[in-house]
Amino acid sequence: MTILGEFEAASFLPWIERHAAKLGLVQAICVAGPDRIELDIAGPAELIDMMEMGCSLGPIDVWVEAIHRAPIECESG
Amino acid sequence: MTRNTMIDGWYPVSLASQLDAHGRRTALMGEPIAVRRGEDGNAKVTGGNGRDLPTCIRYGHVWSSLGDPQKPLFAIPEADQPGRRLVDVGVVRVRCSPLRAVENFLDIAHFPFVHTDILGAEPHTEVQNYKVEIREDEDEVWATQVKFYQPQAAKSAEGGITTEYMYRVPAPTCSILYKTCPPRPGEWDVITLFVQPLAEDLCDVWPWMALFDDETPMTDLIHFQQTIFVQDRSILENQIPGLLPLDPGMEIPTRADLTSVAYRRWLKRHGYTYGAQLVAQ
Amino acid sequence: MPAQSPAGPVALWRSRSGRAAAFADRCPHRGMRLSHGFVRGETLACIYHGWSYAKAGNCLRIPAHPALAPPDTIRVATLRVEDGGGIIWISVGEPAAGPPRFEGLAPLRSMVLEAGIVALEAAAGTKAAEGLLDYTHDDRAVWLLLAPEGQARTLMHVLVDEDSNPDERIAASRAAEALRGAAEDIARGGIAR
Repeated sequence: MTILGEFEAASFLPWIERHAAKLGLVQAICVAGPDRIELDIAGPAELIDMMEMGCSLGPIDVWVEAIHRAPIECESG
Repeated sequence: MTRNTMIDGWYPVSLASQLDAHGRRTALMGEPIAVRRGEDGNAKVTGGNGRDLPTCIRYGHVWSSLGDPQKPLFAIPEADQPGRRLVDVGVVRVRCSPLRAVENFLDIAHFPFVHTDILGAEPHTEVQNYKVEIREDEDEVWATQVKFYQPQAAKSAEGGITTEYMYRVPAPTCSILYKTCPPRPGEWDVITLFVQPLAEDLCDVWPWMALFDDETPMTDLIHFQQTIFVQDRSILENQIPGLLPLDPGMEIPTRADLTSVAYRRWLKRHGYTYGAQLVAQ
Repeated sequence: MPAQSPAGPVALWRSRSGRAAAFADRCPHRGMRLSHGFVRGETLACIYHGWSYAKAGNCLRIPAHPALAPPDTIRVATLRVEDGGGIIWISVGEPAAGPPRFEGLAPLRSMVLEAGIVALEAAAGTKAAEGLLDYTHDDRAVWLLLAPEGQARTLMHVLVDEDSNPDERIAASRAAEALRGAAEDIARGGIAR
């Protein structure tokens, strides 16, 4: 899952981790920049949808422009 | 304190049909206002310090603003279409954030539980995927291809049908619902929710309809919509927190909540935060 | 039904098999009060979107997405419940001992007072000991088990001797109502002063 927007990654990353934990999703953040976060998540489609819903709104100091999802191609992480 | 960016919007303050010279005392975002028919026959709205406020009459209601509206009131082209019955439903006062009232109107997943055997029924609870977009030209939130099984979708509907919906949010406290019209395939019934923000946690809700239905008595149409809204009120007055969270950190939105999420994103982007909670707690 | 606890509002419910459970009174989906929900079998469902929860607090079903088996992590906070002697107790945290037992007493009814415990003690002319107020009225003993709901409101459970006959129970109930009135008068007077 790739999250694009404007964010203080410092405040957003713990938020993402907390939301994923609430959904019982194991995630690994691979890229964490001020305008791009990439994470690998595995789980049922409905739960990944829920992760996308939560993150697309996110905390108030973050603006998420778009979220893209792509199947993970057997890479590490 | 940051400027309230919702101050320049238009808000419903009265039914046009109930406008009289005596007037109605009400409030807009905490400021007491008075609405009456002026000597020239037009609506006249005055603010707390006696200043004249902008007014217009449209869609059965008197509209006003505490600020300086930069745009005319949003268009509902269907309102002028011949053959539609225009229904003033009246007002329902709800002790909730005006934004929560709109969000609930955009939600279909609650139909089987809150409007049982009217707008929904178990086991037909699944919400099929639908489309949501922000239309940049109009700056509006749109949800389309929303489909839901309904036992009695409208006063004119007999038996259960799968109803198709479109939702439109043209202003932070207004929403328009387009709904399959049983007697007139190809056309959409229009049901609107105009919300008057009295305070951040109190609103008057003015539903209004433009329907293709020549059969049902007017009182039945009004009663049907009021029944639905009173059922919604029992939800709206019991959500925690009272304000609409713009941070879903204490919530679990799902794909079925996509319209709600898009609405909140749109509010957040514009800084439309009167009635919103900014940080989850 | 809604209840209060020092940890905030609680949804207290009893399943079809008779087991009591206490949840934080807020659905984790969109914040609706779960005390407005409905019990179906061994689950409590939220009235808004029908999300249903087992007694342990884990979400069992999300009706809008019927194919999904919700993960164990989607859950509502629970409080420990003890159900004994006709009284349901909830605890915040994990107390070492169980709730007190009142041998020989039977619960009669519960009522809410718009008064704090101080006003109630003043009206009764006696002090409560460990939440139990031993009140004698017209030579008849009535026990009042008190649960404060903030400073100005008290939930009062009326207990009587378990051998009381119906007339004695009615008299005890009346005595508790009179005491409620007197305590509320004192509380109002306190505010007026």
